[in-house]
Amino acid sequence: MKEKTNYIGHKVNRLDAIEKVTGEIKYMSDLYFPDMLYGKILRSKYPHALIRRIETSKAKAVEGVHAVITWEDVPGFNGFGIATPDQPVLSKDHIRYIGEAVAAVAAKSEEIAEKACALIEVEYEELPIVDNPIDALKENAPKIHENGNLCLHTEIKRGNIEKGFQESALIVENTYYTGRQEHAFLETEGGVAHIDTDGTLVIQVGSQYPQRDQLQLARCLGINPQKIRVISYPVGGAFGGKDELTIQPILALLTLKTGKPVKMVLSREESIISYWKRHPFIMHYKTGIDKEGKIVAQEVKIYEDKGAYSSLGGPVLNLAVEHACGPYRVENVHIDGYAAFTNNGVCGAFRGFGVPQVTFAMETQMDIISEKLGIDPIRLRKINALQKGDTTPIGNKLTTSVGTLKVLESIEECNLWKRRNELSTQDPKKPWIKRGVGLALTYQGTGLGVGLPDYGGAKLELREDGGFTVKIGTVDYGQGILTAYAQIVAETMRCPIEKVKVTLGDTALTADCGPTSASRGVYTGGKASIIAAEEMIQLMKNVAAPLLQASADFIDYDNGFMFLKGEPLRKVSYKEIANKFIDDGKPLPETEGYFLMPIADIEIKNAFGLPHHIFAFSAHVAYVEVNTLTGETRVLQGAEAVDGGVVINKQGYEGQVEGGFVMGLGYALMEDVIIDRGQFKNVNFSTYIIPTVKDTPFHIESIPVINPEDTGPFKAKGIAETVMVATAPAITNAIYRATGTRLYRIPATPEYVYKRLKEVENEKAHKGH
Amino acid sequence: MRLKEVNINFTLNKENYSLSVPSNMTLLQIIRDVLHLTGTKCGCEKGECGACTVIMNGVSVNACLVIAAQVDGSSITTIEGIGNALNLHPIQKAFVEEGAVQCGFCTPGMIVSAYYLLNKNPSASDDEIREGLSGNLCRCTGYLKIIEAVKKAEKELNEIKR
Repeated sequence: MKEKTNYIGHKVNRLDAIEKVTGEIKYMSDLYFPDMLYGKILRSKYPHALIRRIETSKAKAVEGVHAVITWEDVPGFNGFGIATPDQPVLSKDHIRYIGEAVAAVAAKSEEIAEKACALIEVEYEELPIVDNPIDALKENAPKIHENGNLCLHTEIKRGNIEKGFQESALIVENTYYTGRQEHAFLETEGGVAHIDTDGTLVIQVGSQYPQRDQLQLARCLGINPQKIRVISYPVGGAFGGKDELTIQPILALLTLKTGKPVKMVLSREESIISYWKRHPFIMHYKTGIDKEGKIVAQEVKIYEDKGAYSSLGGPVLNLAVEHACGPYRVENVHIDGYAAFTNNGVCGAFRGFGVPQVTFAMETQMDIISEKLGIDPIRLRKINALQKGDTTPIGNKLTTSVGTLKVLESIEECNLWKRRNELSTQDPKKPWIKRGVGLALTYQGTGLGVGLPDYGGAKLELREDGGFTVKIGTVDYGQGILTAYAQIVAETMRCPIEKVKVTLGDTALTADCGPTSASRGVYTGGKASIIAAEEMIQLMKNVAAPLLQASADFIDYDNGFMFLKGEPLRKVSYKEIANKFIDDGKPLPETEGYFLMPIADIEIKNAFGLPHHIFAFSAHVAYVEVNTLTGETRVLQGAEAVDGGVVINKQGYEGQVEGGFVMGLGYALMEDVIIDRGQFKNVNFSTYIIPTVKDTPFHIESIPVINPEDTGPFKAKGIAETVMVATAPAITNAIYRATGTRLYRIPATPEYVYKRLKEVENEKAHKGH
Repeated sequence: MRLKEVNINFTLNKENYSLSVPSNMTLLQIIRDVLHLTGTKCGCEKGECGACTVIMNGVSVNACLVIAAQVDGSSITTIEGIGNALNLHPIQKAFVEEGAVQCGFCTPGMIVSAYYLLNKNPSASDDEIREGLSGNLCRCTGYLKIIEAVKKAEKELNEIKR
């Protein structure tokens, strides 16, 4: 590799930005077909019930209705779910949450479809509700699934926990609660299904993994996956919420039933009620520390509110178990995690995947310890920081790049942290306004982990114009992989980036690259592209050799040309090489690159996906202002030092840091889908509040910590999740620094902060007496 | 069950339209479902997210909150009327260069709001920019690069005027 790069590490504008700023790009919900019908789903009225009878005749009789379908119309397996397919496409007899799909209609217009839905008669028998994960696991709890309410139990023990606590100088024990965050992607679940001229069923719905959708759909529909084409790029935001299937199976059924294109786009309300959320956790933490500040024992109990169906709730619990002790050396651990079914909607994948919850708890524990022992927060973390060669709390040896110390050293030098004491002031004119700076540290695995199929794939085509098209099955839903792939191909092929086209997320055209999740997009697709590109270079050298009258071994290449080593003027352009293929009557070459993700040295029985092998690390700082009269918190500034290996695109890196920080701000202060007795209470943007431009900090400093990961493409890792994960505890720790009030629950709404401020005031008053 | 239709005449991106549409249709549905101009996005249908922001009679509105009869006699500009790939408006150009776009779904509405803001107030301060964009939600970017883009466009627009 050349020392100087043309594209890697530079600020490169998104290649799809122009068609996005002009509104020309077509999202799946922007598609219209001639003679298209509109689909509508009838969802359950009750959070937990038996279905006694479904009567569709009145709905079918409505003029303009082309199909009304129920469970009887599902030709294949009536179930979906990435980890365990226990969620019915259309429910037959047992309703487990209020948004559950019961029937669906395809009609000439949305209004007719809606009217027909209202005419479907469903007789329910209500069942008692399970509304929290601790009650769900009690012996006398109503059973949500046949085998009870335990979705998954993962327990990891290492060392001697009792001995660890005996040796501790300080034991900190607390219970933490986290909210039910909604993805709030701006484009709701939507798209069109149609049957192509050759009989292929084409599904165009925003998704994170078209190849897996194809397989799940084939299973539901009882048809050959080869007869199904899934296209899922571009997507108007996903964040994990479009990893699992959403409306696709129902849309497919309606299209197969009517033979016509069917479109469906969920309303915001239906989107919030029906599909995935971040799992709320209840966590008991007990941490033992010796007098030097070394963590000697930690006991963690996690209760995950799974909601009604499995989806990815098991793997989410496992990731939480893996990351429960933070990026710290802890020899004596006992982590006990339970995912329990409830009637609280459905939860699934969401940026961070179980790690934001445990990071809130762990980093609050660290802040408490730091204060109690009088050790600086960064020094405390450095004392305990995992380093390369260390064994993680769950027992695997870290042999890849570890940036814990580096991100701490970088954040220590940032302005916000250096000035934390002068910034932690009270406004003399408004003494009720208090300010403080807080810190948190986290890490996040890149990739799926041990035991899951984890690979990258890319196809690379030489075009007639001498440019290249790279075809990868992952999806750009905003994070910027499309541009990163183009940079990687342009850098490897040594051609102008304008010559690289990227095709994403289409089962008919692109290589299966696994899911666009787990911070793995750049790593997997990028590395596979390099493998495909290296083969392409060899094929092109072989064709260039006779043209240059030299052996392929003596050919070098740069800037879109192949030339004789040391004689750059004896050259042929990539276009001339492409034309040579054509002149010789050969097809233009398409190479493929595949690889398996490197995995950890151990396997953990019954804990799928654990451990991870490659990690990104980040340290977050927040500067807040708390109005102690109202409990309102304003985040004034933020900073993040992130070790994601080598940065591929500066612009994309900053975009991830800023966007991740603000999503974390929402998680910390405002976001929680409230479900009361199975009923959703805040299902639109005037009641479920996400950060607006007025909530965003004045400045977020993004500090890249370049810590090369040798296995990664151009030594990169993935940062998409870690950038949001530690923001919440950085903010709540800052609130503590500002007010002296410790928070054990997020979101830290004004109501909760105010209540805690009063509680602490009362405690102090009592002590004073 | 078919609703009474209304006849409406209006100008959209400087072209005249004469349509007969169901009276309960919204301007957003007219733009997307009837005219298939899909740059204007639908994110909530309640005026809460701003993805459908358009200019109507010189004022920025949520197209999902305007019903068909109100459209009659009006003049409307959508994102398609602000610029195109060959002729980007300075705001669009700044969004590209500053990295103010990620998934892009909020982008057209955000740009229309910025366009209205800078027309109305060519020297908008940071606070005024934040106020002007506060009706447009973005879930990807954290907004800072959007603010930077609007500031950059503001500067450029003022230089053009000089």
